[in-house]
Amino acid sequence: MKCRRCKAPAQVKLPSHNTGFCPDCFFRFFSGQVARAIKDHAMIAPGERVLVALSGGKDSLALAHELKEQGCDVTGLHVYLGIPGSSDASLAHIRAFCEPRGIPLLVHSTPDDGLAIPEVKEALKGRPICSACGKIKRHAFNRAAREGGFDVLATGHNLDDETARLFANTLRWDASYLSDQGPCLPAEDGFARKIKPLYRLSEFETACYSFLKGIDNVVAPCPYSSGASFTGHKVLLEDLEHTRPGAKIMFYENFLKNGREAFRSVAGSSPALTPCARCGSPTVRETCGVCGLRRMVAARRAGLFVEDGAAGLEDEAC
Amino acid sequence: MITVIREPEGQTLTFAKAGSVRRLLNLLGERCTSVLVIRGRELLTEDRMLRPGETVIVRSVRSRG
Ligand code: SF4
Ligand SMILES: [Zn+2]
Ligand SMILES: [Zn+2]
Repeated sequence: MKCRRCKAPAQVKLPSHNTGFCPDCFFRFFSGQVARAIKDHAMIAPGERVLVALSGGKDSLALAHELKEQGCDVTGLHVYLGIPGSSDASLAHIRAFCEPRGIPLLVHSTPDDGLAIPEVKEALKGRPICSACGKIKRHAFNRAAREGGFDVLATGHNLDDETARLFANTLRWDASYLSDQGPCLPAEDGFARKIKPLYRLSEFETACYSFLKGIDNVVAPCPYSSGASFTGHKVLLEDLEHTRPGAKIMFYENFLKNGREAFRSVAGSSPALTPCARCGSPTVRETCGVCGLRRMVAARRAGLFVEDGAAGLEDEAC
Repeated sequence: MITVIREPEGQTLTFAKAGSVRRLLNLLGERCTSVLVIRGRELLTEDRMLRPGETVIVRSVRSRG
């Protein structure tokens, strides 16, 4: 197979675009998709400071690398979770990624904040840890963005993540989630703007990009992981994509164009947010969910019992 | 014979016959967009031929936690 642009041997075949590229032309394609996402959704204005959430996985690292190459003012944020056999390796991996690229790295340590994930897991007594962990990470991202004065918070969600989530929300006809899903959520209520500049690129495309750019794979996955999120939905959508190349991006873009607005009118307005009495993060209650979890962990350490700290945890994966 | 290393599982498989990458993917039950087929620093598309004695890595593209 030859590269469509330059006729050199192709290394990446893209059935959904009915084409194949050599590495250099594939990088142009990849950058073009990211630039288009940023422009179509006004994700980043010139001069804005972007905080990129770095988990250590290929998607978040590919995103930081590409935004930096596009000339954005990028800072990385890693949430260190204190999980034995996994967190130290992830942090070392991310440091080794950021340093040579000149990407400043902020590290938020949850153990230093009274929320080491193994302790949270113990305190939850069998309830889903990934949901609590996700909550703690989002809380840390929002807080770091707010306190660091960042305009934008970027995550490495790709087309497969986004279509699988959309499919899950559609199966439930969840008007509130459907009205709110998208690659760019405006800043509001004390939260920075949230963007997903890789949403037009598939998991395969970001994997090819990471490999060809020499971005290493993470070595030590979390021991609590039950596999990637929405794996079943991703497989179904992959089957659809195989018989109808381009189906995933159409499903998602057409939802943004024709579907989302309709759900906004039925979803109603979300409850008003006020600052958490303990940490200042926006919440619908007096204290936020993460402060509730911290209280549970502290109580468990002290041998006390606390009820409702884990309210509202749903099944969720990393 | 060709040698295949599966990632992230780390399993090593051998196949008596070389052949195309497409044939290898069929044997492994994988789609061309669900794995990377890696030889050295190069990615191989389905139409490429594997030579006897070669080792390739077949890496799943799915992210894990
Ligand atoms: S799998 Fe991910 S979300 Fe779940 S506990 Fe581990 S790091 Fe947290
Ligand atoms: Zn080319
Ligand atoms: Zn709080």
